[in-house]
Amino acid sequence: MATFLLKRLAMMFVTMLCASFLVFAVCEFTPGSVARKSLGPFATQQQVDLLSEKLKANDPLLVRYGRWLGVLVGAIPDPLQDPTTGLNFKDPRGAQYFGNFGYSTLNKLPVNDVIWDRLGNTSILAGLAFLLIVPLSIIFGILSGLKEGGVLDRTLSVICITFTSIPEFASGVFLVTLFVILWPILPGTSPLNSDGGWAVPYQFVLPVAVLVIYDFGYVARMIRVSMIGVMERPYIRTAILKGMSTRRMVLGHALRNAMIAPFTVLLLQINFLISGVVVTELVFAYPGFGRLILDASLFGDIATLEAATLITVAIAVITQLLGDLGYMLLDPRIRVR
Amino acid sequence: MTTVDKTQHSYIPTLVEQMSSGSIGRREFLRKATLLGVSAAAAYSLAGVPVPGNIAQAEDMPKGGNLRIGMRCMEIKDPHLADFAEKSNVIRQVCEYLTLTDRNNITHPYLLEKWEVSDDLKTWTLHLRKDVKWRKGRSLTADDVVWNLKRVCDPAIGSSMLGLFTGYLVQQFETGEKDEKGNPKKSSKLWADNAIEKVDDHTVRLNCSSPQIAVPEHLYHYPMFITDPEENGAFGADANGTGPFILTEYVVGKSAKYKARTDYWGTGPYLDTFEYVDLGDNPGAGIAAMASKQIDGLSEADAVQINAMKSFPHVAVYQVETTQTVVARMHPDIEQFKDKRVRQAMRYAIDRDKVIQTALLGAGVPAEDHHVAPSHPEYAALPKYPRDIEKAKKLLSDAGYPDGFEFDMVTRPDPIWELNTAQVLAEQFKDIGVKINIKSLPSAQYWEVWTTAPFSLTAWGHRPLAIMTLSLAYRSNAAWNESNYSNADFDKLLTEAEGILDPKERSKVMAKIEAIMQDDGPIVQPFWRLFSTVMDKKVKGFELHPSQYIFAHQYAISA
Repeated sequence: MATFLLKRLAMMFVTMLCASFLVFAVCEFTPGSVARKSLGPFATQQQVDLLSEKLKANDPLLVRYGRWLGVLVGAIPDPLQDPTTGLNFKDPRGAQYFGNFGYSTLNKLPVNDVIWDRLGNTSILAGLAFLLIVPLSIIFGILSGLKEGGVLDRTLSVICITFTSIPEFASGVFLVTLFVILWPILPGTSPLNSDGGWAVPYQFVLPVAVLVIYDFGYVARMIRVSMIGVMERPYIRTAILKGMSTRRMVLGHALRNAMIAPFTVLLLQINFLISGVVVTELVFAYPGFGRLILDASLFGDIATLEAATLITVAIAVITQLLGDLGYMLLDPRIRVR
Repeated sequence: MTTVDKTQHSYIPTLVEQMSSGSIGRREFLRKATLLGVSAAAAYSLAGVPVPGNIAQAEDMPKGGNLRIGMRCMEIKDPHLADFAEKSNVIRQVCEYLTLTDRNNITHPYLLEKWEVSDDLKTWTLHLRKDVKWRKGRSLTADDVVWNLKRVCDPAIGSSMLGLFTGYLVQQFETGEKDEKGNPKKSSKLWADNAIEKVDDHTVRLNCSSPQIAVPEHLYHYPMFITDPEENGAFGADANGTGPFILTEYVVGKSAKYKARTDYWGTGPYLDTFEYVDLGDNPGAGIAAMASKQIDGLSEADAVQINAMKSFPHVAVYQVETTQTVVARMHPDIEQFKDKRVRQAMRYAIDRDKVIQTALLGAGVPAEDHHVAPSHPEYAALPKYPRDIEKAKKLLSDAGYPDGFEFDMVTRPDPIWELNTAQVLAEQFKDIGVKINIKSLPSAQYWEVWTTAPFSLTAWGHRPLAIMTLSLAYRSNAAWNESNYSNADFDKLLTEAEGILDPKERSKVMAKIEAIMQDDGPIVQPFWRLFSTVMDKKVKGFELHPSQYIFAHQYAISA
């Protein structure tokens, strides 16, 4: 078990390293240098050249990537905070510490000051959606999987497929028209403060609804397929033949086996929710992680993008690990030696 | 005959005469008289019209409350580098200008008590108000003002004010170095050591190298904030200022929050607190937030948003004619655009009314490719440039492109009318054989390349005088000369126009400038845009300013 965990941790480390390098390399292709971005569009070329030189921005890609890594682990101070650059960038934690993601050229703040709040906001949104997606999709999936092709299955399938095929921006606009403009019982945007006269909990209703509507049908379909497979197994037939109640048969015999494959799918939804809520956050002006990544990538804010990449990769690898551990619990045949 | 004070400028009686004989309008008179240092109140009484504004209503304004306006909250580096109306709107509540140009294009003293100008229009004496206090305690002094004026003239700072001041306060010189192309590098400095001079604690004098009439308007250009020298250009929460509000929180992409000052020198503020809310790039969010009353207004609403919100019972729509526009500008030093006949052909290729209908849903008026608006006082009417495909094709083939050519046009998708305009223009250019591929860049990336892309579409803001826009955008080597345009005749005429006080005389020179722009200039300019926005009906004192400026201390909110 310990070696398994160690192996996984090592893999996580390598994955994050690769992903961060890829982001670094891809950012090469966006127009505009770090110096230009720090100084703004109207700085003279002379100023930009001077700052580029100070930041050694013309070094080869690998050297710069190495420097970024050095700043991250606290081996060297962040060059952007060097007072001789004249940028007035200051980090209250100092210029050199472990976990220094550098300075966001978009927000003109240390990345650490920007990213965690946003991640927290998105976690709340994603968490609420996840809490609804899990039971909804399990119930829908089981009910339609119990009897493939039955009326209930057909009805639920139509609902699931319809909802899943409506893109988030469309359902967002639809819900806003319905519950904000025609029948004003909910706020139309979610800035997460109560200054607008709407308590914060109300502001979650629509964005969470959009995410749930988009996502639960897909997961339910996965559970349905798995459930159908289980229902065809001989042991279920035996249970039915010996007269076991449907309730006991589903909860006691079928569910555990039917959840093995969908378990991964459900955990994957966490990744989707954390980094894939961009559209929902844009529609509802929600100050979350998705919008931060969007803004950062449009602007070419490498430091923020790198931090976001590391976080999303870490979340992905951790959910994967959880998935594997969950497999072991659900399926006794899988054991790590 | 109205009597004229002797301390007033010697040109005032002439102006009064011109007004009474009908050769200039009342508005023109007000503009000129206030420019020459007559107080707005005196000018209005000379013109025989009542003083507009909020002074009379101040007593009736409801007090207290919080006002929230939806606007992008962008990164702000330095007030003197403000380059978007949105950024200046954030700073404006904290830091102030020396002068103020109102929505009728009339310029008033603001932090100044008054100004005086010599008869040759070269010496401007600025008298500061004595009752202005920085929020952090000190009084505003001439030293503060001199520091700010000198700072924007420092090429190392990179303020766009440099472009405006070049020619009369600042002069260019060659550094002796050469750039990559072998052209001599240029830099600039104050033309004389005493160009900006402190007279006493509350008086500053500008000694100009050439006559300049637009000084008060320049002082209201949006980066020309008076900031606290001790903060050395930094701006953020708790920044010092002489303005009506204290910035308590500023989060890029989220919000800006303000608290009213209780010891503000001017009238207002009536609100307790004020706030900008960033709703992101999605126009639907603005509509949704207005619908659920999470905000009380927007800094700007596009035609689609206005249509959606017109039916909301609590929403009032505001609209004003502006000199906001968009120009498709060509770098004349690029192969395809080198020949001026190509640039002319591009101008002949477009159908302005169609562009307005399609891209703006009709909210605009046709423009004439010289970036001088009919509402500018120095505008001279020239024959219109009609759509003429045959002529355009002939010009192209004379220039060596009988089959047209293919070129990339850089633009941005936000606001959407800009991209729409680009698409309509590209369609119309197709008719003369010019195939334009639209390269749409996100705003942030667009502003990386806006001065270097060989062909791009750029939106330009409102300026009260045409000479301001022209000297910002087309004077050789100006910081914002995105077209790389350089024409010695144009520069000379522009400098000449800047020194002519009489609007009739100035418009004679302007006619020549406009003709140069139409004949040789680098731009295709399809329209002047109407500017519109929405406010909740409970917002009092709101007037839509053509330059999109927001003055929160004039607004109040009724319960």
